Amino acid sequence: MSRASSRPLFDGYLDPRRPHAGAYDEMFDPVDGVRTAYKRLHDSLMPLQPADLTTRAEALDRALVDQGITFSLSGEERPFPLDLVPRVITAAEWSRLERGVVQRVRALEAFLADIYGDQQIVADGVLPRRLITSCEHFHRQAAGIAPPNGVRIHVAGIDVVRDEQGDFRVLEDNLRSPSGVSYVMENRRTMARVFPDLFAKHRVRAVGDYAVHLLRALRAAAPTDATDPNVVVLTPGVYNSAYFEHSLLARQMGVELVEGRDLFARNNVIYLRTTEGEQRVDVIYRRIDDEFLDPVQFLPDSALGVAGLVNAARSGNVVIANAVGNGVGDDKLIYTYLPEILKYYLGETPLLPNVDTYRCWLPAEQTEVLDRLDELVTKPVEGSGGYGIVFGPDASPKELQAQRRRIRANPRGWIAQPVVQLSTVPTKVGERLQPRHVDLRPFAVNDGDDVFVLPGGLTRVAIPEGSLVVNSSQGGGSKDTWVLAPRASDEDAELRGPGLGTPAPRTDSTPERGPELNVAQQQQQQ
Amino acid sequence: MTGAVGRGKNQTQWRLRVVHTTGYRYATAVTQSYNEARLTPRHDDRQNLMVARLETVPATRAYKYTDYWGTEVNSFDLHTPHTELKVVAASVVETTDQATPSVAATWSQLKSPDVLDAYADYLEWSAYVPKHGELAAVARSLRKGCTPQETVLAVSKWVHGKLKYQRGTTGVHSSAVDAWQAGEGVCQDYAHLTLAMLRAVGVPARYVSGYLHTKPDASVGETVVGESHAWVEAWTGEWWGFDPTNDIPIGHRHVWVATGRDYGDVSPLKGIYSGGAATAIEVTVDMTRLA
Repeated sequence: MSRASSRPLFDGYLDPRRPHAGAYDEMFDPVDGVRTAYKRLHDSLMPLQPADLTTRAEALDRALVDQGITFSLSGEERPFPLDLVPRVITAAEWSRLERGVVQRVRALEAFLADIYGDQQIVADGVLPRRLITSCEHFHRQAAGIAPPNGVRIHVAGIDVVRDEQGDFRVLEDNLRSPSGVSYVMENRRTMARVFPDLFAKHRVRAVGDYAVHLLRALRAAAPTDATDPNVVVLTPGVYNSAYFEHSLLARQMGVELVEGRDLFARNNVIYLRTTEGEQRVDVIYRRIDDEFLDPVQFLPDSALGVAGLVNAARSGNVVIANAVGNGVGDDKLIYTYLPEILKYYLGETPLLPNVDTYRCWLPAEQTEVLDRLDELVTKPVEGSGGYGIVFGPDASPKELQAQRRRIRANPRGWIAQPVVQLSTVPTKVGERLQPRHVDLRPFAVNDGDDVFVLPGGLTRVAIPEGSLVVNSSQGGGSKDTWVLAPRASDEDAELRGPGLGTPAPRTDSTPERGPELNVAQQQQQQ
Repeated sequence: MTGAVGRGKNQTQWRLRVVHTTGYRYATAVTQSYNEARLTPRHDDRQNLMVARLETVPATRAYKYTDYWGTEVNSFDLHTPHTELKVVAASVVETTDQATPSVAATWSQLKSPDVLDAYADYLEWSAYVPKHGELAAVARSLRKGCTPQETVLAVSKWVHGKLKYQRGTTGVHSSAVDAWQAGEGVCQDYAHLTLAMLRAVGVPARYVSGYLHTKPDASVGETVVGESHAWVEAWTGEWWGFDPTNDIPIGHRHVWVATGRDYGDVSPLKGIYSGGAATAIEVTVDMTRLA
């Protein structure tokens, strides 16, 4: 493009022959040039030479290694690549997105309460019973458990993408143990260290106080008789790929990081073993899957969990966050019924639309899916991390045939979507900036009164050219996500307060570390 | 309550005391154990629960809840070293004979979307009740010319004839197919095999756990050795039961405790403990006709 030739970094950026040229680029409008949100960022990047880019990228990598941020990919620890170009979201865009996420969390809370209660939505014929009973993560063990403040989704990660028009759409809900918020905070810390000049030119909303909100929500969830609730973070152990995050959150909240073996149940009360004796536990922020949580109710040979935990929660003596059985709310077939769910519980229409989805379990839609398999993306209804997804356009006839068989054998297990051309954001590739596809996982925290959405979220970027698979488990990278403060707001922007780049001071947590816990490891099972 | 049903003059009514003793013996002392017992008889228009009590040795504090299937669960844990855990569930129930089902659904009604949806839990496959082509073919041949209700009886009788009752031949983990291939089993296997065949022809069917009084002509006050028993219920317009192990309808000698998709949903006693190998202590079920 002629316009780009004076800007070496963006040389050939909008090449019309690039893959998925119809995707929405968040920095450049093909007609009007640089979009408002990115103007300042673009102006700062413009004068840079390719060599500057490399220097800065190296500084970023060093900072990441210093902070010890790694992500295990197929068993190998390596830095989770942070791209040096941040992603910018304007105040107006964010406010729409935020309202949509809050609406969704509220509706899904009502749905889960109903499903593990009277199942009124089924009795009223709005959803078929079979939809629920056939759901792999509908855990009958959780039926009748009523958390004291009614919250089951203490933390949600609602994955959104921007379509060809730039509109946000929900790709999937994560209501079990959504991970990645540590990258949001650490990416920000790193960027603030390496690019203080960029922050000086923007009013970027802070993300460092996430743990304050999380701790508030966890304490608010505690049993009513707990005056000073004891909160712990339960991790599967150091071999878990998200262990870094578990330890970071525990440290920032000033609570104990524990493993299953550190806890035990007696008469439906959960205790923490410490060198100073037993300590009653009121709230467990667990990062262990349901199936491993309680060997009495789930896999009997799981050594990661706590025997008796589910009945302790049932009797109201402890709160498990997120609640057991939330997976029924993030099943990808249930997801297709979100409009009905929103209407039933809230009487509202979705503020954030879903991505168009075909349901293989409905015969008519299955026929269409099988006919058009080569142009659709098929996904298992259960599971995350991008595993099991088949991109029709990239699959060989043999792979498509195998996929047809899998769908016919288990129609309930599959949904299909058109290939969504995820939006692109300039990303460092070699010595240039190239459009690369991104998604976004905003994190919502529900304390029972309000649903707080962290202004930012995890932007994942697919590094290979044309790739639409952004999962970190598939080798993607991430970007710092900047939500700009409204012009009129007096909110503290990042790097405006004292202490550059440090998290906001914590108000309601007293950091205290208990005795060193034994972290000898069992094999990680997730 | 449907007053006309279940209280006719040729219906026998009994009052029964059931004392079920079960538990574990451990090779070495156990310091922690977590258990759930599903041993409390239920209440319906064929059965009236008058009193139920659960005791453990060593003594524990029981926590009761009702599970997804409507079963009363007693949950208890132990924290002092012990080498034996004994659980005694005692109850008094009034029972009568099951009335002949008054509503008879047709095959096309069983195939209607409403029925498929309402009874989805009881049409699915599981580890105990797996899908099996050959069994399904047998079930289809038994169905020929029969109503759904008649098919339930035909399948139950077929299972009764096919399996030889053999105590101790199968473990709690055997599936319907295992039992069928072995040609023998206990009540649990008879029930699972019947369920597998009924579900194969689209009849919603569920597992029933309970007790059977073994002496039809028992006199009042007489205590007999009963059995921890299992049978099936099928939905053919309404739920009704049949006992394929004994090839008899459900009557005043049957006391029911729990229903579910298979044994896994209703296991009478399950638990997790720390310590050496466990062996089940001798299970005894004493049943006394009180009236």
